[in-house]
Amino acid sequence: MSTPTDTASEVHISEDDIKRIAELASIWAAAQDALTDDMVSRMASAFSEGMTLLDRLTRNEGLMRLLQMLDHPDVQCHLVSLADSVHNITRDIATAPPSGGGLGGIIKLAMEPGTQEGLRALSIIGKYWGEGLRDLHHTGGKK
Amino acid sequence: MRILIVGGGTGGTIIANNLSRRLSNEIRQRKAKITLLSASDRHMYQPGLLYVAFGQMMPDELYRDERSLLESNIDFQVDPVEQFDLDKNQVITKSGKVHEYDILVIATGSRIMPKKVPGLDEGAETFYTEEGAIKMFKALREFEGGNLGIVVGVPHKCPIAPVEVTFSLHDYFKDRGIRDKVNIKYHYPINRMHSIENVAKWAKPEFERMGVEIETLFNLEEVDAENKVMKSMEGSEYKYDLLISIPEHHGMGVIEDNGLGKDGWIPTDRNKLTMEGHDNVYVVGDTTNLPVSKTGSAAHFEAEVISENIASILKIGTPVTEYDGKVYCFIEAGHDRATYAMFNYQNPPDLKTANKSMHWFKMSYNKMYWTSVRGLL
Repeated sequence: MSTPTDTASEVHISEDDIKRIAELASIWAAAQDALTDDMVSRMASAFSEGMTLLDRLTRNEGLMRLLQMLDHPDVQCHLVSLADSVHNITRDIATAPPSGGGLGGIIKLAMEPGTQEGLRALSIIGKYWGEGLRDLHHTGGKK
Repeated sequence: MRILIVGGGTGGTIIANNLSRRLSNEIRQRKAKITLLSASDRHMYQPGLLYVAFGQMMPDELYRDERSLLESNIDFQVDPVEQFDLDKNQVITKSGKVHEYDILVIATGSRIMPKKVPGLDEGAETFYTEEGAIKMFKALREFEGGNLGIVVGVPHKCPIAPVEVTFSLHDYFKDRGIRDKVNIKYHYPINRMHSIENVAKWAKPEFERMGVEIETLFNLEEVDAENKVMKSMEGSEYKYDLLISIPEHHGMGVIEDNGLGKDGWIPTDRNKLTMEGHDNVYVVGDTTNLPVSKTGSAAHFEAEVISENIASILKIGTPVTEYDGKVYCFIEAGHDRATYAMFNYQNPPDLKTANKSMHWFKMSYNKMYWTSVRGLL
């Protein structure tokens, strides 16, 4: 006499299901035959170190803030512009004649609009950075 | 709150990292400080020594720099504690520095005591130290056959070790093709072959299958290293060609020297994990006198409870959880099979048939241990 549990089993487990389970078992058996202890250890080691790295990265507030900033389209545009600038800098430095040196050279450089814009950008970065550091000091980093 | 952790083994390191995660805001706001004092700047994965003794791991695989395992906001100092002054809430280190605390965690661990049995140090191999494990491997390599004895002292770290080493010896000599020339005899001090009843029930037929002789109620009295004979307190003798010893363990000397516990084991509340008579002193791992296995696993589960309670004391003024005696031990049943034992104060272990998948789980855990001590797993 079949019990309700037996009937339920008959209904839910078909021959195809058993075949699939047997296939999975044969794949696992094949993996057991193919792998060695050293291979398993190396995979576990990579997984372990990967987990640690991921954990450190996701708990790094500075990096997370940076990623948040990078999500903004305008910041991405700035990043592209920065990358272009770096490319142009390397080209200009490689092709420009060596600097003549001396005070006159410095004055000439300071008079160029690009130098003044660069200094202004650095000055603005310094302003916000200083404000951020003072804020960090006052709040202990807790917003 | 000044939290001082003494000992940089499994328990101490997990507690430090776990607290660092739980109290990161409080540490940043200078409401909490975690200091870890250790006798060494290196951290050893001790269960790996059994693999070293059989040439399956190299000693350098067992070590990491302790600093590399700790969160950056933990104040880590290599300066072992020499004096505990629990009434003044302070400890004094080897360098003479005084560390005051609000909460103290003692995680100093245990050590082997082979010299307690005359002749044992000279006459037997053991795998509980790096030097010992290498020496044991060389002795096994040179062994071509004869009587091989396994003898166990109590209490000892890792209760499963005597069973595991027996399985490994069987497989090692089988792989070398000389198993039929080696007579393995297992000696255990109580009247069954293992202190955990269900482990004894599981291992006995396995030992019979492997042809391993068993002698129970064998409490080692002395070893005559010159004539290669060991004698028990019960009056029996065993003539061996190679002797493998699991020596008796004690807690660390500094615990005994400071009168914190007999033989270096500190009387500990089995649920709260506080030292008896001192609510602001927690004890973890081998250092406790609890009736649970002296294993990294027990230390790990205890460390989770202690960390959660210290953090909750700081945040809401009271502990929130208790230790239920949980232990999870892998059992290597030779070189390609394993099973496990999980138990607590209420429930004994229920051992399953050993298989290769569990062996791989253990192999994997040997590497994932570092993720555990970092407080991630």
